[in-house]
Amino acid sequence: MSITETHRVEHLDAGPSFASTPALRIAVVDRDTGFGTVLRRRAESLGWQQRDLTQVPAIDALVSMRLHALVIDPTLLGPQWAETIEYLRGNLPEMAIVVTTAPSSVGQRVRGIRAGADDWITKPCHPEELIARIESIMRRRKPAQGLTREPILAGDLSIRADQFQAFCEGRSLDLTRREFELLHLLADNPGNVLEREEIYQRVWGFQMAHGDRSVDVFIRKLRQKIALFSPDWDYIHTHFGVGYRFSPELPVAEKPASIKTAPAKRKTAKAGKAAA
Amino acid sequence: MAKRGSRDKELLDLFERAGKNAAAAAVVLDTLLGSIPDVAKLSERVLEAEQEGDRITHAILRKLDTASKPYQDVGDLHTLASAVDDIVDHSEEAADMIGRYGIEAPMVQASELGGILAEAAAEVAGALKDLRKGNDLTSRIVELHRLENEGDRVSREGLGALFAGGIDPMVVIRWKDVYESLEKAVDACEGVAHALETLTLRRGSA
Repeated sequence: MSITETHRVEHLDAGPSFASTPALRIAVVDRDTGFGTVLRRRAESLGWQQRDLTQVPAIDALVSMRLHALVIDPTLLGPQWAETIEYLRGNLPEMAIVVTTAPSSVGQRVRGIRAGADDWITKPCHPEELIARIESIMRRRKPAQGLTREPILAGDLSIRADQFQAFCEGRSLDLTRREFELLHLLADNPGNVLEREEIYQRVWGFQMAHGDRSVDVFIRKLRQKIALFSPDWDYIHTHFGVGYRFSPELPVAEKPASIKTAPAKRKTAKAGKAAA
Repeated sequence: MAKRGSRDKELLDLFERAGKNAAAAAVVLDTLLGSIPDVAKLSERVLEAEQEGDRITHAILRKLDTASKPYQDVGDLHTLASAVDDIVDHSEEAADMIGRYGIEAPMVQASELGGILAEAAAEVAGALKDLRKGNDLTSRIVELHRLENEGDRVSREGLGALFAGGIDPMVVIRWKDVYESLEKAVDACEGVAHALETLTLRRGSA
C-alpha cells in the first residue's frame, strides 16, 4: 500500500477542509487497492464520492461519471501514459487530473504536467495531502469558472468570457487562455489599480514568487496583441512599483471633446461601443 | 611556465581566447535571462560559445599532453583549463534549461545572478589576459572571490523566494535547476581564481 497510514488523519493539524468545495466526485485509477481504501475513508468523511478503477475507462464512460477529479497512476497507462493524459485533458478540460506515482524524474514530472496533469504527487503520500491538493485545484479553477459570462465592452474591445476571447470589430485578438483571464480580470475591475501579487494569485492560482516577472511579461504580450487591432486606445496603465489599472483612454490629442475616458461597461450598458 | 618560449606564448594565447569566449557566453546569458521568454536565438549563441569553448579546451589539453618537454605545472594548467570550460558549460546548461522548461518570464534574482556571472567572467577574461602579459593578478583574484560571495547571496535569496510557500511547484522545479546551474557557473569563475592563485604561487617559487 503506497499511501501512508502511519499517522491518523485526526492527528494532523491540517485545518478545515475547503469549506465551499461541494461534494466532489473523484475516481482513483490505481492497482494498489490499499491506496484507494485509505483515500476513500477520508474522502467519504468529507461527503465526496469515490470510484476505484483499475484502468482508464472510455471517454464516454468518464463523461457520464461527471467527475471533478481523476487520481491516476501513470504506470497503469504503459509507455503512452503522457499521451493518455493529454487525451484526457483535451476531452475533459474541466476535470482535474492528479498523478500519484512512485518517485520519478524531473523530466517525467514536467512531461506529465505539460501533458495536462494538474498536479503530480509522489507516493507514498498522505491522504490528507492528496485531498488538500484536489481542493486546491478546485479553488484555482473557481476564478475561471466564475468568470462573468456577460461581454465587457471597453474602447474598441468586446471581452467575451463565454468564448474566452476578446474581439475588436468582430475580429478575434487570438488571446491565449492566460492572456484572456488577465485581460478579463483587469477589465472586470475598471479604474482600480491591481497589485502584481493579486493579479498573479487570481490568474495563475498560486502565490507569486518574489522577483517573478510573469505578470509584466503577460501584460506586455497583451498590450502588443491589443495594439494590433486597436492602436488608438490605451487600455492598460502601469503604476510603477504597484501594478496595473484598466481604463480605456484615447491619447489627449485624439480625444473627442465629449469623451475623456470610456470606462468598461457591460453589454447591457450602451456606452462602450459608442466611444469607438 | 617560469620561462616564456614560443610554446608558452601559444598556450597563453589559447587561455586568453578561452577567457574571452567565457566572458562572451556570460554576457549573452545575462541578456537571455532578461529576455525570457524570447530566448531561442540567444540560447543558440550560448550553445555556439560552449562548442567554441570545447574546441579551445581541447586544443589546450592536447598542447599540454603532447608536449615533447612536459610543462612543469601541467596539473595546474589542466585545472585552469577545466575551470574556464566549466563557466561556459554551466552557462549553456542554464540557457538550455530556460528554453527546454518553457520558462515564461524573467526572475529578478536570476537576472541579478546573470549580471554577477557576466562581471565574474569578464574578470576571468581580464585575468587570463594579464597572465599572458605577466601582470599581477592579485586584484583580479580578490574581485573573483568577492563576486562569488555575492553570487552565493543572490542565489540563496532566489531559492528562498521559491520556497516561501504557496508557490507553483512547477515554478519551484524550473527555477531551482536554473539557479543551481548559474551558481555553478559563478563557482567555476572562482575555480579559475583558485587555479590562478596556485599557478602564480608556484611560478613565484619556481
